[in-house]
Amino acid sequence: MKISLKTPKEKRRFLIRIALVLLYFCVTIFVLFNGRGHTILIDNKDADDLSYEAVDGMEVSIDSQESAEYWPGDRDKAVVRGQKHKIRISFFDEEIPEFEATFTVPFSVDMLILSVPKMLAGIEPFIETFVAPDFVDTFEKEESAESFDSFEDMYDGLQQEDYYIGS
Amino acid sequence: MSGKNKLGRVLADNAVVILFILLSVIAIPFSGFSVQNILQEMFTRLGRNSFLVLALLLPIYAGMGLNFGMTLGAMAGQIGLIMAIDWGIAGWRGLVFAALVGTPLSILLGWICGAVMNRAKGREMVTGYILAFFMNGVYMFLVLFTMGAVIPVRSATILLTRGYGIRNTLNLDLVRASLDKLLMLRIGPFFIPVATYLVIAVLCVFIVWFKKTKLGQDMRAVGHDLVVADSAGIPVERTRIIAVVISTVLACYGQIIFLQNMGNMATYNAHDQTGFFAVAAILVGGASVKKASLLNAFLGIFLLHLMFYVSPRAGQNLFGSAMIGEYFRQFVGYGVIALSLVLYAWKTRRDAVFAREVLKNNGSSGHSDAAKEGAAK
Repeated sequence: MKISLKTPKEKRRFLIRIALVLLYFCVTIFVLFNGRGHTILIDNKDADDLSYEAVDGMEVSIDSQESAEYWPGDRDKAVVRGQKHKIRISFFDEEIPEFEATFTVPFSVDMLILSVPKMLAGIEPFIETFVAPDFVDTFEKEESAESFDSFEDMYDGLQQEDYYIGS
Repeated sequence: MSGKNKLGRVLADNAVVILFILLSVIAIPFSGFSVQNILQEMFTRLGRNSFLVLALLLPIYAGMGLNFGMTLGAMAGQIGLIMAIDWGIAGWRGLVFAALVGTPLSILLGWICGAVMNRAKGREMVTGYILAFFMNGVYMFLVLFTMGAVIPVRSATILLTRGYGIRNTLNLDLVRASLDKLLMLRIGPFFIPVATYLVIAVLCVFIVWFKKTKLGQDMRAVGHDLVVADSAGIPVERTRIIAVVISTVLACYGQIIFLQNMGNMATYNAHDQTGFFAVAAILVGGASVKKASLLNAFLGIFLLHLMFYVSPRAGQNLFGSAMIGEYFRQFVGYGVIALSLVLYAWKTRRDAVFAREVLKNNGSSGHSDAAKEGAAK
């Protein structure tokens, strides 16, 4: 296809069309990155190897969202938009000063887990991708690896292995 | 014309509006809803539906009748929303993203629709209706079979358990009421979604401005008489295609606004009744196949939704079954379209007879232009 740009009117029209296409892509990219939602699971648990310990009572807020209280062993979620965020932690122990930090989440990840004790201890990475355990997959793998005498045995086995989401 | 004839003419010209006002006046007391309740619901429904109904205006100006093909735009808007939910884009940005995805799709679909309608001049409405059925099949194929299989879908939560195809109902929590809540104003007991009304106001300004542009004037000329417009050098087919493309794009945005207000989407049915209810609304407002205005659109939405809101409850209270009201809702929707089309045909014939009489009476003293025009009809 040949584009004729002889007259100033044609040139202007062509430029306007190019500008519109560019604007279209710019706005798409802006809303894509700026509006991308992420679920952050805020975790206040001890490490398995006790390399860090849960905070004994704190209030955490992400960006300008309402803050939530956390006790040792608690986990809650915050839904955020965009990739760059600010976390503010105020401790129940008034002697400890407030903590503020910024962090970035990867664009492609839907759900992340942020360990506050790890972050306070300066251990990296304190943000990790959270993958919900797939019950069906695990169930099938387990079933093929082990043989159960009865359904009750199988059920108990799965309970012990902590396969149920949220248990 | 005698006073009696004049009154008859006014009644006949506004039969649908008068019928709806009467039905509403009868149904409101039986429904038991308070005025405050009804007004709040009307504010919400005006915000939800106005954009879709206003999308019908341009094809009417271009003489293409009521654009049942707007369903195609609604499908494009839904595909945009599916993409926004899949990518997890929340809030008003999700709506903008859906609109950006839907725009090129609706332009393409509108162009196809316009091109088909140009091959079926004089039968645009039924062509649009059938085209919407055909495109529904294409949409179903795309969403039910290719999404997740050919078109990548990131989020497994929106897919059917078999691994491909979008779920029957999509939760729009990420974008739910994001436009309505962007600027919510409280006036006394009423909550007004100002941002939604601003978007509708911008569209109204656009329509008024567009009518004054060269293209808008061309559209009206095409709508008035195709042959004369063609003789005057107006590119008739191109103008008609542009009218349908703009209407389809507006329908795409309208459907996005509608669905964000509803908060969930029936993936395979949400677009089905879009054209039908928009057409019913504009006809209830007193528009016809050839003539419509902004006032017709808003009055129609108010009256139709007033009826839709009060009739199920009135049916429940009167007959002990809300189904009567639901039945009435469907009956009224189809009935008003049929009644308007019959009235339009009857009015056209009546005007022609009247014009012929005028022509006969003035036979010796010269023919007036109006009489000639009426007789031609």
